[in-house]
Amino acid sequence: MVGQRLRFDTKHATEFVDITDLLRQEVRRAGMRMGRLHLQSLHTTLGLAVNENEPLLLRDFGNMLERFAPVGAGYEHDDFARRINVALDEPVNGHAHVRQLLLAGFATLLVEEGDLVLGRWQSVFAVELDGPRHRELALQLDGDFSPLPRASAGGSGRGRSAALSSDLVELELSRQLLVDPEPVSTPMRRLVEAGGKRLRPKLVQLTAAIGPRNEPLRTAALATAVELLHNATLIHDDYVDESTHRRGRPTVAAAEGPERAIAVGDYYFAKATRLIAEIGNPEVTSTIAEALEAICASQIDDVALRGAFPGDHESYLRVVRGKTAALFAAACASGAQLSDASPEIVEALRRYGDLLGVAFQMADDMVDFSPSSGKPVALDIRQRVLSLPLIYAAEDRTVGPEIRRLLAGSLGDAEVGRVADLVTSSDALQRVRAEAQALVDAAVHELETIELDGLRPTLISLAHSAVDRIS
Amino acid sequence: MSVQLLDRELDRLESLWEDGLSEAYRSYLDAVGAQAPATRPRLALAAALVEVAIRLQGLGGRAASPPTLLMGDLCLARSSRILAGAATQAVQIAFALAIEEMSAAAASGVAAPATRDLLLRALEAT
Repeated sequence: MVGQRLRFDTKHATEFVDITDLLRQEVRRAGMRMGRLHLQSLHTTLGLAVNENEPLLLRDFGNMLERFAPVGAGYEHDDFARRINVALDEPVNGHAHVRQLLLAGFATLLVEEGDLVLGRWQSVFAVELDGPRHRELALQLDGDFSPLPRASAGGSGRGRSAALSSDLVELELSRQLLVDPEPVSTPMRRLVEAGGKRLRPKLVQLTAAIGPRNEPLRTAALATAVELLHNATLIHDDYVDESTHRRGRPTVAAAEGPERAIAVGDYYFAKATRLIAEIGNPEVTSTIAEALEAICASQIDDVALRGAFPGDHESYLRVVRGKTAALFAAACASGAQLSDASPEIVEALRRYGDLLGVAFQMADDMVDFSPSSGKPVALDIRQRVLSLPLIYAAEDRTVGPEIRRLLAGSLGDAEVGRVADLVTSSDALQRVRAEAQALVDAAVHELETIELDGLRPTLISLAHSAVDRIS
Repeated sequence: MSVQLLDRELDRLESLWEDGLSEAYRSYLDAVGAQAPATRPRLALAAALVEVAIRLQGLGGRAASPPTLLMGDLCLARSSRILAGAATQAVQIAFALAIEEMSAAAASGVAAPATRDLLLRALEAT
């Protein structure tokens, strides 16, 4: 792994800086042959985008940003009289922050044969939204390197320096995997490095900033443990569901067999509980332990319900609240507990996490019917996994009878495809979307009664992002 | 441990009681005499649940079927929750380390120390 910074100066208020050549240069300099280049903006008003470098199109993009978030449109962020700790040189830039929400703050690009994998018309842009300024991007190269070019790069010092300032949770995850025995760490590292949204650690980190006690290292340890726990459950789930791929890579069970998958899952289950015990906060330990128990009990219910596939709304909610929402709720509550937040805040955040977790799972169910998601379509149907769109469609007067008849038989490609078409043609997806949105609204409502020290907008935004991926 | 308490802690795991869990529980109960009386039954049950979980899952041997694996997972989780309420931090950590040792050995294809020996040692952690 090589890490470093890309530094550059922008010249305009809004500017699309084509950094493709800079990135290609870094790949060559590092001698990387095959792998991934991770790029992350270190600013809240600098986004990233991959698109065509055509001057008129770039003006279209600029115009679109202006339409969506015009300059000086009365942003509360710009009302300095209501903000605390405003720097003397604080710019009026609410529009720039809002625009950044429309863009990505990070990107992963593939590298093959020593070069970026980009389509003919694709360029990589750093998008300045509040320039002109001096800007920095964090960059990590992860993969196979040819030794000679890297040796001549002279970049190892910069790599170390970048690693030091990387995100604490990612560092802690890497550190923990580094000290584990290779037969368990290698499969877990593959899973962790393949991506994942890191929502649960994010929730821990956010809620751990709410109370009076703020300890970044202990927070990172808890967030890491929660992420490891989540991944440990996924490893066992994949064996139970006979899944062959997760996050685009073979599952541990598929790649290394069920015996290894069970051992790796157990190892990280135990390790995560140990990391949490080492934090030494009994409330946190109990919160996570209770969630883990709820997850395991729901997994049993989930498998048992497959005999009555597709199930009903009540069973669905019971399983999802345990299987998915329990860890969301525990992540929120345990972060707050770690920061010594009041019991009222802890409970409000627990309810927020619970509602968010159910909404998240509903959104995930809908992604199963989206051909543009990048995931195999209708996998839930094929694996007979509980899915709310399917439950609603099976209840539908028009398409329900045919769906139930198809599900009662064996499910080959044709049957799965037909069921997916029937679900899509019904109003099931709209119903699920509306229900998920209502849960997000309820989650946001939970935040209204408590003092969150400025974190409310972030938690609200995170809640909305749970269902935005299906809008 | 009162019958009611034991019943609650065995929720969904009742079938395991006659399938080795009660025997393991009694063995560990004999071994926790140095612990505070109120916590002895819980600690013994936590240890017994781990022992049964490892056996159910086939750790270090042939993989369990998915439903049996999940039952084993629930045993581990229940044990962890019981320990969170009844054990010292040192015992909690020692239990986790024992499971780490057994699962790492299983993943490496080498023989792990006997489960009961490891857990008895974990119960003595200070």
